[in-house]
Amino acid sequence: MLRVENISHTFKSGSEVTPVLHNISFEVHQGDMVALLGSSGSGKSTMLNLMAGLMKPTEGHIYIADQDIVKMGENKLAVFRRKNIGFIFQAYELITSLTVRENVELPLVFQSVSPSVRKKKSLALLEAVGIPDKSELFPSQLSGGQQQRVSIARSLITEPSIIFADEPTGNLDTTTEEEIIRILIDLNKKMKTTFIVVTHEPEVAQRMQRIFTLRDGHMITEKRGTAESEPAEGVPDSENS
Amino acid sequence: MRILDVTRLAWGQIKRRKVVTGLCMLGLSIGCSAIVVALSLGDSVQSYVSREVTAQFKMDEITVMPNEGVSQGGGPTATKTGANSNVGKLTEQKLDIIRGLKHVTAAAPFQDAGYFELLTADNKISNFNLVVTDLSLLTKYDFSFQQGVPSKQIGSVVLNYGATIGLMDIETQKKLMESLSSNSYDPEVMRQYDELSRMPSNLYRQQVQFRHSDYETSTGGVKSYLSSQLQVAGILKKADGMSADQAMYDKKIYVSQETYDRLKDEFNIKPEKPEMGQTYNQALIRVDSQDNLPQVETLIKKLTLNTSNNLYQLEQLKSQFAMFKMVALGVGGFILIIASISIIVAMTMSTHQRRRQIGIMKVLGSNMRQIRTMFIMEAALLGFMGGVLGIGFSYLIVEGINKLVSSSGQMTMGTGESLVVSIPLNSIPVGIVFAVLTGVLSGIYPAISAARTNALTAIKRD
Repeated sequence: MLRVENISHTFKSGSEVTPVLHNISFEVHQGDMVALLGSSGSGKSTMLNLMAGLMKPTEGHIYIADQDIVKMGENKLAVFRRKNIGFIFQAYELITSLTVRENVELPLVFQSVSPSVRKKKSLALLEAVGIPDKSELFPSQLSGGQQQRVSIARSLITEPSIIFADEPTGNLDTTTEEEIIRILIDLNKKMKTTFIVVTHEPEVAQRMQRIFTLRDGHMITEKRGTAESEPAEGVPDSENS
Repeated sequence: MRILDVTRLAWGQIKRRKVVTGLCMLGLSIGCSAIVVALSLGDSVQSYVSREVTAQFKMDEITVMPNEGVSQGGGPTATKTGANSNVGKLTEQKLDIIRGLKHVTAAAPFQDAGYFELLTADNKISNFNLVVTDLSLLTKYDFSFQQGVPSKQIGSVVLNYGATIGLMDIETQKKLMESLSSNSYDPEVMRQYDELSRMPSNLYRQQVQFRHSDYETSTGGVKSYLSSQLQVAGILKKADGMSADQAMYDKKIYVSQETYDRLKDEFNIKPEKPEMGQTYNQALIRVDSQDNLPQVETLIKKLTLNTSNNLYQLEQLKSQFAMFKMVALGVGGFILIIASISIIVAMTMSTHQRRRQIGIMKVLGSNMRQIRTMFIMEAALLGFMGGVLGIGFSYLIVEGINKLVSSSGQMTMGTGESLVVSIPLNSIPVGIVFAVLTGVLSGIYPAISAARTNALTAIKRD
């Protein structure tokens, strides 16, 4: 599903060169639920940006559905993202002028999907994330947890093969955090969608099937989490990178 | 991306940013209303003045005069025919040819015989311009009779409306002139003068006399001749479009050639060259339509005659109003450019403020073209709304202008009808299209700038 090969990345600021990722390689299979764990400055956000095609690595290749996204131009990448990648943001990033349903439908709007199909799919997803009665409200009328559910529903609307979640519980209290993690695990089980969750919280990472830990730009461990669902084949209980 | 979705997304942004939307709309609406008002004012004033000019100057008549240069044998345009030739003269024979031309509905001499004094039976006097013509053809030239009918009887005269007003006895006239010369700014004297100058007299079927004063006597003095009694056979109506003031100064009496011949005998006026036969100093040719006038005029000129018409008045007006319109449109355009700059600034700021949202959209799968389209649609909607508001403003402005004009009473011409500005229907889409185009053109740079926003901004946290 996702294959990261020998990724290295450096940031340049004038004559100063700062290496942030060093020769990272790993593979994620269809239906995996993976945590990318690391403290601030570990390079996990850079890794996420690279995997989502928002940045180009200095070295290496990233394959999603057997296509090297490093070689794609911006417009091709936009089309690829539309079809294959979903996003969940820490701050939800909903469009405040659109209703909950319209927010969920937005990725399909960019694909010119008919309004009736969009509506049907968005209502089903809102039901799946537990807020079927909020479809006609605006984001400002929802709590943080509810907004994140909308964001999850939006990420799923295009039926992507992989979803990147950037600190999805970072803005939530413990109870809501648990609800959101629960929803992600359930969706992973039901829809077999691959999730890559970037987090700095070991408790959140622990709930995933696999955990990749980054420290100072190096992948230091990959181990199994405690998620209820079984990881895909070939994933060891614990191994050093 | 469907057009309805683009519109809905753009509309959502417009609704959300009410202050920016309001300011952009205001700028556009001022520009749009400036253009619409300029067009309306230009059109209304042009049609008003054209109407007035058409009412006062007949546009389907050609005034024909002898070609003096040829007939007198002098000047650079003179022909070899010499002084005794009939070539440049306006003769009855030439009038007959003109009558036979296509599109000519009437051709008659309208000779200006000069100024004379009118005396009524009750000793009132007035000055008038004597016109010699075929009285039976007067109605063909849009003259209509208020009283009486044209008469072929020698000694019959027809008065126009102006000739029937302002008659006063010698004593009154003398006193009034004295008062005017000593107190020319006295409003009471002016009022009296106006009143007397407009006072009508019933002259129909009355006996009147003409007086001719000869200032070129051999002794150097002035010799007066009084005509025999003349019968007022008809009174003409005041011409349409002629104001009372204009009528005061338009005093004409029409007589037939036969009556004029008798008057000439009585006034001892000798014909210039009797051997030349009947010639005229002026004739009026009526044409079936204004459009055919130039064609007929060209043919008449081939008869070695001079012609003039009033079409040049319209042409002159057209060029003046074209310039006025251009200036007004220029002002409107300038305002739109200012509005456009305000939109560029507002939308560029908006792009900057919304770069995170744009980034999110890119992450969610929108491409550069879709982002550009959304911004341009937003600008077009702003333009459309500004245009509609501008049309509303235009109606208010035009209503204000009309109230101002009607209350001041200054903008009236000959017909006394005041200027009414109206918005031509075709200027409404023109105004809206201008506003939308301004919006779209102003939105291009912000749209390009928005589309270039890096998607990475979306997931970068401050």
